[in-house]
Amino acid sequence: MAETPPIDATSREALAELLLSVADDEFVIGFWDSEWTGIAPMLEEDVATSSIAQDEIGHAKVLYELLAELTDDDADRIAFGRASDAFRHASLMNHARGDWAFSVARRYLYETADQVRLAALTGSTYEPLALLAGKMRREETYHLMHADTWLRRLADGGNAGRDRLSSSLECLWTDAQEIFAPLIGEETLVREGILPEPMRAMSITWQARVRPKLEPICGALPAATPSIDGRTRRTSDFAWLHGEFTSVARSEEAATW
Amino acid sequence: MDGERIWEVFRQEDEGDPMMHSGNVNAPDEELAMHYAREMYGRRGESHRLWIVAREAITELDDPDLLKPPFDRSHKKPGGYVIKHKLQAAKERAASKASE
Repeated sequence: MAETPPIDATSREALAELLLSVADDEFVIGFWDSEWTGIAPMLEEDVATSSIAQDEIGHAKVLYELLAELTDDDADRIAFGRASDAFRHASLMNHARGDWAFSVARRYLYETADQVRLAALTGSTYEPLALLAGKMRREETYHLMHADTWLRRLADGGNAGRDRLSSSLECLWTDAQEIFAPLIGEETLVREGILPEPMRAMSITWQARVRPKLEPICGALPAATPSIDGRTRRTSDFAWLHGEFTSVARSEEAATW
Repeated sequence: MDGERIWEVFRQEDEGDPMMHSGNVNAPDEELAMHYAREMYGRRGESHRLWIVAREAITELDDPDLLKPPFDRSHKKPGGYVIKHKLQAAKERAASKASE
């Protein structure tokens, strides 16, 4: 890996928040979607969904490693050694897997937002992050294509699928905003060019892109903006998932994996 | 799933390699067939290129009258031609030319 460029303490702290937020988003959506392994609508889709979920966890891994290097920590500890309230994923990822339409709706909302975020991050002045965002973007393009294919299939595939998709989109719309929730130290990140664009600006870009795709499916979506606690609200659904994905690490805490 | 079709998948390992038949996937349309082929035959980075072909687009020939004709075809096989000594002579010629 490239030498970490010199960075002052304030920027480092803010950068750590940014890395953690992206990593936790990828990690938690990856674990939720892996809940489909074995029960997806058809065998091929089972493999595809599981593989995409693995990709997301793979992205989280490299982000946690980058964070660990920056803060002199350990990637496995960050991933599996934190209490559930220390996670910083957007509240979109607080919901349980739900039915297939719900998972498709969430994936679509997430992938489109992630696309906007990664596009910005490829221009980060923190070079290791810019390089990583570039690589992630190549894979995420495919993830978005997959989510988009399913969104259209459900939207055009008769009332049952369309109704479920529509109600899932309405249910998740507010929490999806939180992918762009303001970060602690965001002003510093923007000033230093580590975050090339404020979250609020990305949020506007994203809404302008997805509203024309979603509103023909579910009708007018309410005005919504990211909120200050968008990455700190936690639910019992997430507490359950956290118990699941930390269970192996907790079973033998001194073990070297 | 409704309207499921079978798609045959061919895989090329590296640029220039022949396209080899890998297997097939079930998918309702071309778009999902592409996704599934990618996941089944390319997710580990093992493929340079995939061809995804709807099975109904394949022209099949399995007529034994055409493929296994009733008469002796041994004269169409190359086994009857002894070329070992010709090859040997050609190799020697090439070697002596190279040493000149």
